Amino acid sequence: MSAVTALSPAPSLALPDIDGKTVDLASYRGKLVLVNFWATWCPPCRKEFPSLGRVRKIFTPSEFEVLAVNVGEDPETVFSFTGTSDFPVLFDRDAQAMARWPVKGLPTTLVVDRQGRLALRAVGGREFDDPAIVTQLMELLKQGRT
Amino acid sequence: MSFRSGSSLRKSLFAVFAAFTTLTSTCHAVEDIAWRHSAAQGGVILSANPLGAAQRTAFYLARGFSEPTIKPYAHACGFSFGMRNTGPGPVRTTLADWQAVGTGGRRVRLRLPAEWDTQWAKAQVPEAARIAFRWAQFQAENSFEAGDWIMGMATLDAPLPGNFRLVARYHDEKGEHEVVIDKLACAND
Repeated sequence: MSAVTALSPAPSLALPDIDGKTVDLASYRGKLVLVNFWATWCPPCRKEFPSLGRVRKIFTPSEFEVLAVNVGEDPETVFSFTGTSDFPVLFDRDAQAMARWPVKGLPTTLVVDRQGRLALRAVGGREFDDPAIVTQLMELLKQGRT
Repeated sequence: MSFRSGSSLRKSLFAVFAAFTTLTSTCHAVEDIAWRHSAAQGGVILSANPLGAAQRTAFYLARGFSEPTIKPYAHACGFSFGMRNTGPGPVRTTLADWQAVGTGGRRVRLRLPAEWDTQWAKAQVPEAARIAFRWAQFQAENSFEAGDWIMGMATLDAPLPGNFRLVARYHDEKGEHEVVIDKLACAND
């Protein structure tokens, strides 16, 4: 993943999950958050989706979370693909939340550091439990510890 | 909550993969996509698959388009394009800078996603379908850091019979370059 130059605060993100409960990125301040923008019709999105669950298991829940932001689709379509997910799947039905983020195509993934700043970005599919990415995430975690 | 039947979901999933891949033999495979055409220049790999009308019709019907509305798009000369930055620095490309060049020298530009979206707005296409369309296209403006890659659909702005060259201009830290795919042709269906 590439470093985001000029660390800027992450845009706001407060969206409903599959149960309709609003999940707010701001509530994860103090944790590293991997925010993935995706759609079920996007082949590289589908391919990388399982790796979101795998990378999440590498870290402790108190330090790291994954938020998978589905763009433009309804819960039944998404659930048909994801089933019950270990991490929040959020619904940006009108793509307005995504418009505030530096998304260049689907999938785009951004990592928000413990201070709530955009730290890393990847455009295109990845395997997020790849050792190189895990190392990047661990480095970010170390930087955020006081 | 109601769920799609297994049969319609299978059809939809097939349409998704058929629209982005081909079932024919490949000359290059990048990121598990079976690309029929590829070219490399500097740190950029450009790949292309011709897309037929049936593939695209099925894909966009599943996204919420009606068949009459999507027909001009589905029948336009269209491709799935993939672009990957294997170089050390950032790369930018603008779809407006790409051209298809026919054997007689005739040049045809690529139709920009916003131009299609204007038609969809006039046709009162549902917002969810327009959102899916917008993000399924190869974006008008692209910036890739090292290791980034993107794929998406695009169409020529006019028919171009026979084989042609696709000339895709891009910028990196060293300046402007071109990556060219030779002997590209529209799908036959």
